[in-house]
Amino acid sequence: MKPVNIRVGVVPVGEVPEIAPKVIASHFLGYLNLSADILPRLEHPEYAFDKRRCQYNAALIIKAFESEHFDSYDKVIGVFDVDLFVPLFTHVFGEARLGGKYAIISLFRLEKNLERAAKVALHEFGHLCHLEHCRDIKCLMHFSKGLEELDNTPLYFCKYCSAYLESAFSRVRT
Amino acid sequence: MDQKMSVMIVDDEMIVRESLFYWFEKAGHVTDTASSGSEALEKLEKFPFDILFVDMKMPGMNGIELLEKVKEEYPDTTVIIITAYGSVETAIEAMKMGASDYLLKPFKPDQLSLVMEKIIQHKKLASEYRYLKGQLEEVTRFDNIIGQSPEMRNIFRLITEVAESDASILILGETGTGKELVAKAIHAKSYRNHFPFIAINCGALPDSLLESELFGYQKGAFTGASHSRKGFLEVVSGGTLFLDEIGDISPKMQVDLLRVLEEKQIIRVGETRPVDVEFRLISATRRDLDKEMREGTFREDFFYRINVITIHLPPLRKRKEDIPLLIQHFLDKYSHETTRHVDHVTRDAMEHLKSYDWPGNVRELENAVERAVVLSKSRTLKTEDFSFLRPVSDPLLKQPRSLRDMEKEYVCHILSEYDWNITKSSEILNISRATLHRMIRRYNLQRTK
Repeated sequence: MKPVNIRVGVVPVGEVPEIAPKVIASHFLGYLNLSADILPRLEHPEYAFDKRRCQYNAALIIKAFESEHFDSYDKVIGVFDVDLFVPLFTHVFGEARLGGKYAIISLFRLEKNLERAAKVALHEFGHLCHLEHCRDIKCLMHFSKGLEELDNTPLYFCKYCSAYLESAFSRVRT
Repeated sequence: MDQKMSVMIVDDEMIVRESLFYWFEKAGHVTDTASSGSEALEKLEKFPFDILFVDMKMPGMNGIELLEKVKEEYPDTTVIIITAYGSVETAIEAMKMGASDYLLKPFKPDQLSLVMEKIIQHKKLASEYRYLKGQLEEVTRFDNIIGQSPEMRNIFRLITEVAESDASILILGETGTGKELVAKAIHAKSYRNHFPFIAINCGALPDSLLESELFGYQKGAFTGASHSRKGFLEVVSGGTLFLDEIGDISPKMQVDLLRVLEEKQIIRVGETRPVDVEFRLISATRRDLDKEMREGTFREDFFYRINVITIHLPPLRKRKEDIPLLIQHFLDKYSHETTRHVDHVTRDAMEHLKSYDWPGNVRELENAVERAVVLSKSRTLKTEDFSFLRPVSDPLLKQPRSLRDMEKEYVCHILSEYDWNITKSSEILNISRATLHRMIRRYNLQRTK
């Protein structure tokens, strides 16, 4: 992919190991030709903690991110060490709104595997760029039902999703 | 997932609606939300959602009540119940009432994905089933004639039987019963189907014009005949001529046509040289030709010439079981033509339409459905959408008459309705068979052919 001027920020939250945002940023550069900045670490978002479930509500965190000052960035990826959920679901590996600015991912259920973290981050970034789930199981935008499927998912996008991303990036460039 | 669905999430909690909304949106489905059962029903009236995810506990109309209403009005819509761990039994109850599945809160994202895959698979099979069933339902559609009642099946069988012969056919039936469609079907099934099918409405043309249309004319034959023209009896050569409203033609035209049928020759207006013609004649009328023959207004010899085979088309009120099938056909037709999403008729409206007498028969039904589709503001037609249908006043009551005349006419009417079945007629009239026989003798009632 051609170099793009999309400004991506990666924010570590809580006790995330220092290496994690670096690995994610390097995957953005390697697979999307996008340089990503690592932003200052944030505290755990206690407002989103659900005492009954002992998990953090991803929907609330995304809403709160919207009031944070990330003005210099087009897309921001929050990396959490805690377990995330959205109402109705037991957990989520990551959460993003289609075409939104903020995505969050959790390392909690990824068993300290940073390649998995990079896949989830790139997948959620795809949603931020309006990409929907892809039917091609050999595409990063394919919906993974669990860790096994996530491991079988490649780190790259299929030709259709790549073409879509390219056109989305070119719109940003102009 | 390789098929996009239209999904509605029905839950009173906004955060739940939002989280499911975003999940389905990312999966590429057309997604909407409703915060209550009544809002969901309003949205369903306007758009045919494939799947509803319904929370069991909601203030006002609860999930079960919504499920009941949805299954009653939109049986093709899949309903998935979302419930808490404590209420599994209610969820199972919901499945007995037609819910396709249930999800216990909270569920893993892959569970929702599996449920969706199952629904998509099921919808695919259902659509294949409908396609195959459609092939089997050819018996309910014969060319463009629709019906599955025993009367219509008989007509379909008769059409196939008579199509291959060259015998003249007389189709009898009230206005709007589809006489021309039957004539076209006979032509389409016959060996003449590569030749023309020409339909003429005899009732719509004055005698002189009908003559020149049928027989053609020579240049200068009459004022305005600036060039020679072939008549339909020549143009139809090898094909089928359909003369609608044959009962309306004059005695002179009856003689002229009788000669053509006997001699297989015509003479153009203004000509002397005969021309050979070859065609099959199908005629139709809504009139009682037996009565007209008795009165001397219709020639007997001509009647027997055009009436080698008779097909009686039943009025719609005598084959009411075909009404839902016809309504569905016209809904599909006009929803498509007018690009309006109208695909349902409520049970009450259907009963209303079935109880109506349809004096204009299938044509009136078609017009009624078209009008209702065009004016409807929702995807479901209700009884009030057909409020323009007014019950026809009983012709027996139209003019003052003696009780004896009324009785005679009514007994005669019931006897002909039930094909002179004395047992059935006496049951309807609530009199004994002996009394009915006495009345028949007293009024000198006779069965007409």
